[in-house]
Amino acid sequence: MTDTDALRNAKRSTRIDAWCGYTMEAPPVSAMPVSGGTINMMEYLLQGSVLDQSLESLLHRLRGLCDNMEPGTFQDHEMVFLLKGQQGSPFVLRARRSMDKPTMPWHLRYLGQPEMGDKSRHALVRNCVDIATSDNLMEFLLEMGFRLDHEFVAQGHIFRRGSMKIVVYKIFRLLVPGSTDSIEALSLSYLVEVSVVAPAGQDVISEEMRNFAEQLKPLVHLEKIDPKRVM
Amino acid sequence: MSGPGSAPAVRISIESACEKQVQEVGLDGSETYVQPLDMSQNLARLAQRIDFSTGSGGEDEAGGSPSGRDWGASEPEDEEGLVKFQPSLWPWDSVRNNVRSALTEMCVLYDVLNIVKDKRYMTLDPVSQDGLPPKQNPPILQFVSKKKSLTGASHILLKGAERLTKSVAETQENKRQRDFNSELLRLRQHWKLRKVGDKILGDLSYRSAGSLFPHHGTFEVIKNTDLDWDKKIPDDYCPLDVQIPSDLEGSAYLKVSIQKQSPDIGDLGTINLFKRPLPKSKPGAPHWQTKLEAAQNVLLCKEIFAQLSREAVQIKSQIPHIVVKNQIISQPFPGLQLSISLCHSSNDKKYQKPTLEKSSTEDHLYVLEHNLHQLIREFHKQNLSSSVMPHPASAPFGHKRMRLAGPQAFDRSEITSLQQTEGLLEKIIKQAKHIFLRRRTARTIDSLASRIEDPQIQAHWSNINDVYESSVKVLITSQGYEQICKSIQLQLNIGVEQIRVVHRDGRVIILSHQEQELQDFLLSQMSQHQVHAVQQLAKVMGWQVLSFSNHVGLGPVESIGNASAITVTSPSGDYAISVRNGPESGSKVMVQFPRCQVKDLPKSDVLQDVKWNYLRGPFKEVQWNKMEGHNFVYKMELLMAALTPCS
Repeated sequence: MTDTDALRNAKRSTRIDAWCGYTMEAPPVSAMPVSGGTINMMEYLLQGSVLDQSLESLLHRLRGLCDNMEPGTFQDHEMVFLLKGQQGSPFVLRARRSMDKPTMPWHLRYLGQPEMGDKSRHALVRNCVDIATSDNLMEFLLEMGFRLDHEFVAQGHIFRRGSMKIVVYKIFRLLVPGSTDSIEALSLSYLVEVSVVAPAGQDVISEEMRNFAEQLKPLVHLEKIDPKRVM
Repeated sequence: MSGPGSAPAVRISIESACEKQVQEVGLDGSETYVQPLDMSQNLARLAQRIDFSTGSGGEDEAGGSPSGRDWGASEPEDEEGLVKFQPSLWPWDSVRNNVRSALTEMCVLYDVLNIVKDKRYMTLDPVSQDGLPPKQNPPILQFVSKKKSLTGASHILLKGAERLTKSVAETQENKRQRDFNSELLRLRQHWKLRKVGDKILGDLSYRSAGSLFPHHGTFEVIKNTDLDWDKKIPDDYCPLDVQIPSDLEGSAYLKVSIQKQSPDIGDLGTINLFKRPLPKSKPGAPHWQTKLEAAQNVLLCKEIFAQLSREAVQIKSQIPHIVVKNQIISQPFPGLQLSISLCHSSNDKKYQKPTLEKSSTEDHLYVLEHNLHQLIREFHKQNLSSSVMPHPASAPFGHKRMRLAGPQAFDRSEITSLQQTEGLLEKIIKQAKHIFLRRRTARTIDSLASRIEDPQIQAHWSNINDVYESSVKVLITSQGYEQICKSIQLQLNIGVEQIRVVHRDGRVIILSHQEQELQDFLLSQMSQHQVHAVQQLAKVMGWQVLSFSNHVGLGPVESIGNASAITVTSPSGDYAISVRNGPESGSKVMVQFPRCQVKDLPKSDVLQDVKWNYLRGPFKEVQWNKMEGHNFVYKMELLMAALTPCS
C-alpha cells in the first residue's frame, strides 16, 4: 500500500466520520408531521388472517365481490429502513420492489403512527406518504444514513373494489440477507389487509370498509389491530 | 232310450248319464242313490216352485173354487187341510188362496160393472190428474231418501275432486317454482344479480365494463305467478319477469346528421323523432332478455349523450357547441352543422308526430352512430385497462405511466401528453368532418365527370379506409386513347380538414376543405391533360415536339390556373401545329404551312430564291369545332394524319 492510498483511506474515513457526526448532531427525526405534498393522505386499514386451507374459498369470495379486473398476483420484496435519532422513536421507511414486474418503479412508503380512534371509527388510520422511485433507492437511503432493519418477501393476491385495495399475502423470510432466491414461509397463514388511501377526515370510508368486512365475515374477521398492543 | 229310427244311415243311442241321483259314494265305491220321486211327489214339487207373490187374498174368504178342486184332485186330504193344516205344510194352500181371491175380485168387478151399466147409482168419470196427491206420499219419501243418498255420494265425490285439484295445483306450483328457479339460473348466467332483503336486484349498467356513468341501472326480478289458472297459459309465458327503471323503458338511439346550416334556431332541441319502425311488439310481454337488452341500450345511449354534452360544454372551440335538451349542435365547417340527438321513446307513448319532416331520417349517418357506440366502448375499456393492479402491491392505484413520471424524470411535455386525451365529441366531430369531406369530394368529382365529356375523369375509391382518412385515385383520360394518354394520375388523400393531392411525379398539393378549390384544380388538370395528350400523340405519330409548356405566360389570363401550350412539327418538317389549351378559354389550334403553299403571301423582293420557299409561313387557326372526330385527341390525330404527306 502506497502512501497515497493510505492517505486516501484516511480521508475517506474522516469523511464518513464527518457524515456520521453530522447525522448524530442533527437528527432528521423531528416532531414535525410528515406529509406528502399539499394533501395529507391517510391510510385506512383493516387486518385479518386466514389459514392456508381456507385461502381458496376466500379468494373465490373476493373474486365475486371485487371489481371486474384481471385478478392480480404479486411478489414483492420489502425492505424496512430505520434512521435512529438521539431521542424519540426511529424514523421508518419502507422500500418495496416488485419481483415479478422488475420494470416497475420502486415504491417508498412512509407510514405514521396508527391512530386507533374511538369505537365509531371502524378502521385503523395512519398517515401515509407514497412515492415512486427509481431502482437505486437503496443506495440513496444507505447514503443518507438509514440502516436496513429487516426485509421480507410478500407473495399473494391483490384485488380492487372501488377505492379499496384488498391484499391477501404470505410473508416469507429471507434465508440469506439481501438474496430473494431462497425464502422460507414464516407461518401457515395468509395475511389479509383491506386498505384505502384517502385524504384525512373521511370517516365515511371506514364505514364502507366495515360493510365490506362484514361481507367476508365467516371466512375472515377483519379488525383494526393496534400494532403496539400486538408487540 | 233310443233316438228316432227313421234315419236310415246311423243309429245313435242317447242315454241319460244317471237315472238316479247319487246321494252318496261309499268308501268301498258303492253308490247309494236317491229314490226317484213318484208322480204325486213330483207334481207337488213342481207346484211349490210356482210363485204367487203378486197376490195374497184373504184367507178367511169362504167358497171353494172349482179349479182349485181340479188342481187338487189328486190330493185326497184337500178339504181337511183348509182349517187344520198349517199353510206351509200344505203344498196347495197358496194356490188355493190366490185362486179364491182372484175369484172374489172378479165377482166384485162383475157386480160393479153391472151397477155401472145401469147408470143409476154409479157413473164412470174420467179421473183428473189432481186426484193423485193422496197417492204421492210414498214417492216423496222415496225422493227424499234418494236425494239424501245422492247428496252423500256427491259430497264424497266433491271431496275427492277437491283433493285432486289441490294436488294438481301443488305439483303445478312446484313446477312453476322450478321453472322460476331455472329461469333465475339462466338470468344469473347473463346478468349480475344480488339479493337485497327479500328482493332480487340486478345490474344492467356497464359499470363492470368500465363505465363511469352515475346511473344506478338496477332492475328488479319479479316472480310472475299471478296468473289466471282458468285461462289458457300463453305460449310465451315466463314465470320470471323483470322490472326496469321507468327512465330506461322503451327504446332509444342516437341520431347523427350533417345538415346545411339550420334554417331556424328556434326549433332546436325539440326534435323528438322516432322514425325507426318499432319492431311490432308481440301481444304478450316481451321476454326478460329482450327487455333487459333494450334497457341496457337505452342506458348506453344516455351515457353517450351525457358524455358528449359534458364535453360540448367543457371544450372551448371557436364556434361554441350548442347543447339544447336532447340535441348537441356543432359546426364542423362554415355553413354546416353536425347534430347529435338522443331519441328515446317509451312504449306507452305512441308515435307523436308520425309525419315529421321526411328528410330527417335520410341524412341519419348510421356510420357515425355506430362509431359513437364503438368509441364509448373504447372509452370504457380504457377506463378498465388504465387502472391495472399496482406493482409492488403497496403502491397506490393509478396510471402506470404517471408512476413512472417521477423516477424517469418526465418533462412537462411528456406529462401533458399523458393527461391530454381526446374526448368523444372531438373524435366524432373529426369523423363527421371526414365523412362530409369525402362525400363532397365524391360529389365534386362525379359532377365534373358528368359535366365534361372530354377528357374523361375516372375515380377509383379505395374500399378500406380509416375513420379519419380515405383515398381516391383520379385518372384523367381521353376515350379511345387510354393507353397512350396516361399522364395525369392523381392520388387524393382525404383527411379531416384538407385534401392532400399527390401527383404521379410526386408533387404534393394541399387543398382545403373548400369545394371550389378541388374543382378548379381538377379543371386545370384536365386542361393540361389535353396538351399532354397531344405530346403523347406526337410521339406515336412521329411528329416532333418543338416546345412544351404547362404554364404559358402569354395570352389572355385564365381565371383558373394557367393555360398550357405545345408546338409540334410534322416528320418532314413542313407543317407545324401549335396548341394552346386553357381551363377557361378552351383550346386553340393553329397550323403553320410551308411558305410555298401560301398563295396570298405578298411577294417579297428579298426572298427571290427558291430555297426560301421552304421557310415556314404564317399560322392559320383551325376551326376546331368543325373538325371531325368525337374528342380532342381524335381530332388531333386526324389533323396530324392530314398534314403528314403520303410518301
